[in-house]
Amino acid sequence: MLAKKYRSRIVSIKNPIEGIYTIEFESLGRGYKFYPGQFLHLAIDNTYDGVGQWPESRCFSMRSNPDEENIRITYAVKGKFTTQMKETMEEGDKVWLKLPYGDLFIQDHNKEEPVFIAGGTGITPFLSLFAHESFREYTNPKIYLGFRSVNHHIYQEELANAKNPAKTVEIYYQDSDGLIDIDRVFSENGLTNDYFISGPPGMISAFTNTLVEKGVPETNVITDDWV
Amino acid sequence: MGKEKELRQEIIDLTIKYYHEKFGGNKFIPGKSKVNYAGRVFDEQELINTVNSSLDFWLTEGRYAEEFSFDIADYLEVDNVLLTNSGSSANLLAFSALTSEKLGNNRLQPGDEVISVAAGFPATVTPIILYGLIPVFVDVDIPTYNIDVEMMRQAITPKTKCIFLAHTLGNPFDIDAVMEMANEYNLWVIEDNCDAFGSEYEGQKTGSFGHLSTISFYPAHHITTGEGGAICTGDPQLAQLVRAFRDWGRDCYCAGGENNTCGKRFAQQFGDLPFGFDHKYVYSEIGYNLKMTDIQAAIGAAQIKKLPVFCENRKENFRKWKGIFSKFPEYFIVPKATEKADPAWFAFIVTLTEDAPFTRDQLTAYLNHELIETRNLFAGNITKQPAFIGKKWRLADHLNNTDYIMNNTFFLGTYPGLKDEMFEYSEQVINSFISDYTS
Repeated sequence: MLAKKYRSRIVSIKNPIEGIYTIEFESLGRGYKFYPGQFLHLAIDNTYDGVGQWPESRCFSMRSNPDEENIRITYAVKGKFTTQMKETMEEGDKVWLKLPYGDLFIQDHNKEEPVFIAGGTGITPFLSLFAHESFREYTNPKIYLGFRSVNHHIYQEELANAKNPAKTVEIYYQDSDGLIDIDRVFSENGLTNDYFISGPPGMISAFTNTLVEKGVPETNVITDDWV
Repeated sequence: MGKEKELRQEIIDLTIKYYHEKFGGNKFIPGKSKVNYAGRVFDEQELINTVNSSLDFWLTEGRYAEEFSFDIADYLEVDNVLLTNSGSSANLLAFSALTSEKLGNNRLQPGDEVISVAAGFPATVTPIILYGLIPVFVDVDIPTYNIDVEMMRQAITPKTKCIFLAHTLGNPFDIDAVMEMANEYNLWVIEDNCDAFGSEYEGQKTGSFGHLSTISFYPAHHITTGEGGAICTGDPQLAQLVRAFRDWGRDCYCAGGENNTCGKRFAQQFGDLPFGFDHKYVYSEIGYNLKMTDIQAAIGAAQIKKLPVFCENRKENFRKWKGIFSKFPEYFIVPKATEKADPAWFAFIVTLTEDAPFTRDQLTAYLNHELIETRNLFAGNITKQPAFIGKKWRLADHLNNTDYIMNNTFFLGTYPGLKDEMFEYSEQVINSFISDYTS
């Protein structure tokens, strides 16, 4: 699917826990089109008229699934752009979105016993798949999630409603359980599964290296990262 | 309003005046004006869009390309539409995409066979030959002028990997039969929809059935951008491959003027390049540069809004020609829509019966002399064309109907620019010709 600019309105901004925001957008024109796991570019430059050079923007995974009318993203305030988002964006504001991008679940992959590993807001591209009918095509998916604390796990409802009843979910809370134990994840799975990893760059890099060192082919480690 | 916007509005207002002055009143004079087989049909909006696009001066794909491609996607109900500079380029790109190594064992390779027909336009066949594959020509049916599906089944061998067919002059081929065979034998299907944009089969638009389909926007076609074409697919991987082949073979899918939309521009490993080599300059296919400009797309963005009306006009004009030629069943075989199809006819195709007391060439020479334009069914039998003699192709069986079409068939226009008085004039001319031969 090819990227398109969408003039959009902010329907709601939620701040369930300090530093984490969820924004819902509605399109002011054509309906959004994307596949699960894809991401968008958000521009908050009010001078952009939709015609000339695309302004400064930042990537965000779509948390909502393609069957929903509106799009939701969840972000952690970490740098200049997200700080500006936190400080300037208000409900009712108009912004430009450009989507879809990325091929996380479009590229060839093995749907037999896949492993999904996410840290923090890195769960969002996975949620887009979990809530979509296509998630039923995966056999015995295993999901490993890491959050700073139980309060940072704001995705219970979506996980409970995931479309694949065969899924198993294991959650690590950093303040009580420590980080996701990638050695254990590997031992519970194996060399032939596909591993999807999304989260902080350091986590993605470390987990990828560990899995590859253990003999998982590089092509079986599929990451959702941008730098 | 800012000065720039004021000036733009002034230019647009003048453009509208210019349109009415220049193109506003064309009167048909029987015997002096031509009855063209095709032509541009447009109003002030096409000129306004062209001028607006020129004033944007974005040039490469921009806001109009986006609007146009998404309007096509909505119309056909497909996910991906890529614009290109002609229908022939669209065919080349659709075929090229299927040769990509990224498709693994499913890719088309030299020596593989591709089912097609010889009674058609070269652009459906040339990509097959250019990539070293073997076109296998199957005869067509008269009066649908589409592939004979029973002969097609006989033509399939273990070497067959793809079906590449046009919906002849807007008349859909037997899509149920073709798709059933494609599924049974795991074959790729490319629908050459260049002459059929707006045709339907079982209520679904042609161009939305195959793995890939193509459209032409040459002025003779259902809508125009001057030169122009598009490739449509519901498969995101094929869409990326088409884009790569269209855009120099590059791996990166950023549009012109965009950078690092993937967020990994300097953080990936490709081929034997050093890690982090700029993704914008990584080439994963042997590609071309066949993109459309935004000025062309601006015309298309106005044209596509007229497409439903144009298609109805074409169907109505088809009925008018049919009324004229059906009066002489002893001389003419009139075309027939494929079962379950509702064609937005590109043209009205006529074949002379064996009993006709005149030849096709005598009739078409007369009609053209009387300023009624005709065309033959493109290449006739393409295997007889100079460029195709000596090339590698295979005949599935005989091409009896194809040869008959080469010698006895022609078509007239159905384009929306035809007026009632043109049909009245044409009917008089045809009646007069027949009366000369039969009295």
